[in-house]
Amino acid sequence: MLPLSHVGRSLLNRRDFLSHTATGLSGIALASLCAAEVRSTMPHFTPQAKRVLHIFCSGACSHLDTWDYKPELIRRHGSPLPGIDKLVTFQGENGNLTRSPYEFKPHGKTGKYISNLVPQLAELVDEMCFVHSMTAKASSHGPAESQMNTGFTLEGFPSAGAWVSYALGSENQDLPAYVAIPDPRGIPQIGPLNWGSGFLPAAYQGTAFNADKPIANLRPARTVDAKSELASRDFLKLLNEEHLKHNPADEGLAARIASYELAAKMQLKAAEVADLSKETKATHTAYGTQHKNPNQAGFAKNCLLARRLLEKNVRYVQLFNGAYAMGEGVGNWDGHKQLKTDYDKHGPILDGPLAALLKDLKSRGLLSDTLVVWSTDFGRMPTFQKGAQGRDHNPKGFTVWFMGAGVKPGFSYGATDEFGHKSIDKVSTIYDFHATILHLLGLDHEKLTYYHNGIARRLTDVHGHVIKDILL
Amino acid sequence: MGCRYWSMIVSLCAFSSGVLAADPISFRKEIAPILETHCVGCHSGKLPKGDLDLTNSKRLYEGGANGPALEPGSAAKSRMIRLLHEKKMPPKTPLAATDIARLSRWIDEGAKWEGGSLQLPAKIEPAKRAGLDWWSLQPIRRPAVPIPTVQGWTENPIDAFVKSGLEKKGLKPNAEADRRTLIRRVTMDLTGLRPRHEEVDAFIHDTSPLAYERLVDRLLGSPAFGERWARHWLDVVRFAESNGYEVNTLRTNAWPYRDWVIRAFNRDLPFDQFVREQLAGDTVSGADELSQAATGFIVGGAHDLVGNSTEEGKRQQRSDDLFDMVSTTSTAFLGLTTGCARCHDHKFDPIAQRDFYRMEGIFAGVDHAERPIRLASVLPQPAELNQIRERLLVLNRQIDAAEPIAVPTNKGTPRLHRDPLNSRRNVERLQPIEARFIRFTVNTTNDNAQPCIDELEIFTEKASDGNIALATAGAKATASSEFPNSSLHKILHLNDGIYGNSKSWISDQLGEGWAQIELPRPATIARIVWGRDREQKYRDRTAMSYKIEISLDGKIWSPVAGSWDRGKASTVNPDLTRLVSERDSLQVRLALLDKPITVYAGNFRTPEPTHFLKRGDVMDRAEVMVPGTINGIGPAMTLPANATDAERRNALASWLVSPENHLPTRVMVNRLWQNHFGQGLVRTPSDYGFNGDRPSHPELLEWLASEYRANGGYMKPLHRMILLSKTYRQSSLIDPAQVSIDAEHRMLWRFESRRIQAEAIRDSTLQVSGSLNRVAGGPGYNLWTYSNYVTVYAPKPILGPDEFRRMIYQFKPRAQQDGAFGAFDCPDATATVPRRTTSVTALQALNLLNDKFMFDQAEKFAKQIESLTKDEEMQVKTGFRLAFQRDPSPRESQAAVKLVQSAGLANFCRMLLNTNEFVTLE
Repeated sequence: MLPLSHVGRSLLNRRDFLSHTATGLSGIALASLCAAEVRSTMPHFTPQAKRVLHIFCSGACSHLDTWDYKPELIRRHGSPLPGIDKLVTFQGENGNLTRSPYEFKPHGKTGKYISNLVPQLAELVDEMCFVHSMTAKASSHGPAESQMNTGFTLEGFPSAGAWVSYALGSENQDLPAYVAIPDPRGIPQIGPLNWGSGFLPAAYQGTAFNADKPIANLRPARTVDAKSELASRDFLKLLNEEHLKHNPADEGLAARIASYELAAKMQLKAAEVADLSKETKATHTAYGTQHKNPNQAGFAKNCLLARRLLEKNVRYVQLFNGAYAMGEGVGNWDGHKQLKTDYDKHGPILDGPLAALLKDLKSRGLLSDTLVVWSTDFGRMPTFQKGAQGRDHNPKGFTVWFMGAGVKPGFSYGATDEFGHKSIDKVSTIYDFHATILHLLGLDHEKLTYYHNGIARRLTDVHGHVIKDILL
Repeated sequence: MGCRYWSMIVSLCAFSSGVLAADPISFRKEIAPILETHCVGCHSGKLPKGDLDLTNSKRLYEGGANGPALEPGSAAKSRMIRLLHEKKMPPKTPLAATDIARLSRWIDEGAKWEGGSLQLPAKIEPAKRAGLDWWSLQPIRRPAVPIPTVQGWTENPIDAFVKSGLEKKGLKPNAEADRRTLIRRVTMDLTGLRPRHEEVDAFIHDTSPLAYERLVDRLLGSPAFGERWARHWLDVVRFAESNGYEVNTLRTNAWPYRDWVIRAFNRDLPFDQFVREQLAGDTVSGADELSQAATGFIVGGAHDLVGNSTEEGKRQQRSDDLFDMVSTTSTAFLGLTTGCARCHDHKFDPIAQRDFYRMEGIFAGVDHAERPIRLASVLPQPAELNQIRERLLVLNRQIDAAEPIAVPTNKGTPRLHRDPLNSRRNVERLQPIEARFIRFTVNTTNDNAQPCIDELEIFTEKASDGNIALATAGAKATASSEFPNSSLHKILHLNDGIYGNSKSWISDQLGEGWAQIELPRPATIARIVWGRDREQKYRDRTAMSYKIEISLDGKIWSPVAGSWDRGKASTVNPDLTRLVSERDSLQVRLALLDKPITVYAGNFRTPEPTHFLKRGDVMDRAEVMVPGTINGIGPAMTLPANATDAERRNALASWLVSPENHLPTRVMVNRLWQNHFGQGLVRTPSDYGFNGDRPSHPELLEWLASEYRANGGYMKPLHRMILLSKTYRQSSLIDPAQVSIDAEHRMLWRFESRRIQAEAIRDSTLQVSGSLNRVAGGPGYNLWTYSNYVTVYAPKPILGPDEFRRMIYQFKPRAQQDGAFGAFDCPDATATVPRRTTSVTALQALNLLNDKFMFDQAEKFAKQIESLTKDEEMQVKTGFRLAFQRDPSPRESQAAVKLVQSAGLANFCRMLLNTNEFVTLE
């Protein structure tokens, strides 16, 4: 590791806006390379979690067909949603209240009702901590997905993972601090913005790869024999060192030399971590990596990759389920027209592999210092859309859940109304969701700031309260 | 800051405690400061919190939404005092007990108000926020150029300012960089490319004292200059070629704006034109086609295309569009973060929430859309086009002159003396009459469907006036209603100058509706022409019974024509047949020649009302705002509430370039400085407010701004002065002793070396490998293939010569990055980037080492060398000369020859492209 000059140190230790507007190349270069130094001011207090696994179901996975049991919806099936005449939502008019096509049954010691769309995840309810009163600001996927992953409905803001890697850096210098794992079917609605760094330096953005598509450019695009490559790199090092002699105090140049050394390490370690053949047959079977449905096998492999990354102390892993490009509801959870047909396909893809991952994390003791969060764009309506067999968007009430480090297991917080339409009890916001994640990582969401264009920006804008009731 | 704030509070207390026990409390000395500091920030203005206004006695005694705030004579019974004690007010920082005691005593003593209204918070609290006395809002001065003690630093005013700054800190400037470094620096800085080895050689050996000056002039005149420097501006204005958000579909016709920016830098467009064309290029008389495309600036941001059926969703989308226009215009030109005032008064700068909505009103007539522009100057077009258009105007005039004059009223059953109606084109010839408002009312249509008019044209007797109903001529269109959920049939299409169904107005009433044109000033009108579809593809929705009325004041109306005298086919006038047949053939020819391209540069229409939104909530509308700008900054601007779209945008441009507006010139010269030196004199280039940086060299910034103004707003003379300065020509050597005095290198004692930007790395790689394609302008090359109903961007597998153009011509979707070079802090265009970050990451190294592009270019580089020489030592030398413009040292040469022998020339070349020397501007 490079020695840090007092310049770099003072820049890195000052978390006010000057620390980044004032830096030339060197400050940022060091910030991105010397994560250990960055960590000297953070976390703000003792963290419960060291790392995060964020599972994101793209397209708006219906809370009413999974986690939020509403007996009244079953009883009032086929009657109009009371009190609202000709309710218009995102796609237009709504029909009558419609019960879930899936059966709900109590599970675990807590007896929590979960639908049979996700039977294997249902077995884990005693570990889960549900927030049933979540609300989103937007009713359209783009802005909503943006809010869930960056805190803002507008484009251009850093993702939660970028904030976390900015704050805490990596504990593993050989791997990216922040990895986004896109679904085998493709990327989610707003694509790379979900893991972008916004106005934070590019160093903090998520590195996107999955079990099928390794990190771009990890391997040379052409075959070069190992000996030639080694000789080439040595030559490069020699040229850079000769060049540095002309301006020995230039940290920017030194940082760039170091980045090539890190790259060499990453080539080895990232390839190693992505190599699923190192896993036992039993593990492969448990995750279902050989499932006959290639999408399910692909997602299972991504789940396995996620575990391997977390094991290697990658700080923030974002695991995507569902992709956008195939059309409404076809490749994701956007069940407008034929919810049951769509969800019959998507349910098993999510259920088996994710349950295997969570159980695996638990059995390896990783849940004790890993925070798992599950979320989606927003909820769906308790009614079916007029003339359709599916549910429209509903940002007014939906469910997210937490699991693992620092949160109460087998706990439910907040509630929607009797039909699951609107949050009415302990109404929560995505700001609260993010504030809580940061809190569990030992970060004060009001203090984690970065100056950008006039404002010390936060992940939580000017809002957000840690949801204290769900904390251990 | 904290210290100053506290000292103010403490001094207030100290002052007050001395008088506490004696005389009755003084409102002005003791109470007003408390209210001003802690209360009126929220309890003032048009929408005071809790409807309680504490700035004047009348409103104070009236109380707010929760009743009286105080009861004179009894603090104990006063709600205000109770809330203060309960620490509910002020909401964030409770008031000191001594202050509460003082307020209580004042109420007990009768709560007497002395003097006028209290000051608004924008003008006070200097320790917590900027007021109108903030440094950046003050008039630009022309400071005297200081005289430093050392010879040689006095000739160039920049040096004089910098050197005296250095002297004050006890710093010494570096010596001048060597000649090779200098020519490489200035060439890479200005063009993003590197000089050829021969050029470097010639420069090193040129003994003329003017050699460097000539070099600078040559580079400033090179087209490559605009191709490099336009990029800096495109970062600021978040230029991209896709819509962003969920669908992120392509804007294949946004590139003319990019070309305009390149041209603006190359031609050194003066500042006032630079500003005006981007805001209102479509209205500038004599503006060529590319200048009309400059309004691509306004709509350069993301735009959510996903339909949302809820009222809230629709309003939010529009509100977000306008927010982007206001905040980008404001940060780009003013260096103020006006966007922060969308939901509340700006917390730090003197920008009220009302200012934000006034400014939003400027853009209320702008739609995210494309607009037909004939790009004659870019795409070659036959010269005959304009002749045809002019001839058609004349022909129509002559042909229409044969029409009988319309009978103005239906009184007395007029005889049918005019042509029956047709769906294509109908002429109403009038007795010339003065009018300002012209209303066309349809009573029935041929199919009882909602009526359609594709264009309503109005002419005077003067041929040179042309169609005075056009929006571009300042006229405003309104109508009884508008066909819902359709972008094709808008009111704005009544006078957009475009014929045909796809740019027509349809009402939302079966068989009826009215459309109205309001002229910018009264005119004597003589002819009205209208049709349902002049392209003759549709014949439905045609008015069968209608009347046309005019008015001067919009209140008293008189009819001038109607369907009552139509019905009899006129006998064909033989004199006209020749004209009519000429017209018909010209129209066929015109359709063939005149295929305007539509440009993503915004569509302009009659502005919609702009509402003040409480807390920025689109569902919580308050009063309608009069368009304007930020009160108190720049010259006062007054626009009528019903100003046209063109008037609004032009007024904003005039306000920005006014000599009384002191921000824009400071902002612009600092951007220029930043892009030469890596950091600006102000390091927050789009924020000159309280949270922004203070200038490192305030006097120099003033001097440059005044110079910029004095020279007429030309950039190139400033570039030249900077580049010729000793300050710029210093070596980049870092002296640790000087670092200990000026760690952030604000005083400019060296040239700060830095990694070149993504575009420059890619362009230089192509240049060195010999593959750079210098084709300039026009639609960009595309790295992507697309799929599906939403745009998924997948990299093209094979790149060809088109993709080897300069990276500024890379088709730039939002949120999608070039696989190899995006990682070098390339903006993804989702938001404005006033200054790029410069990160160094392992992923960047992997990209330059391993990406296919780099392998391909390294191979081309190697082939080029091989074609020149077979001798390995010479090959190495050639490689160094191409990449670094120097010869290798013996040690480098030896190692390189060894590598060429063991790993091959291409690997040697690939490594050269990976070196610090290759990617660093020093």
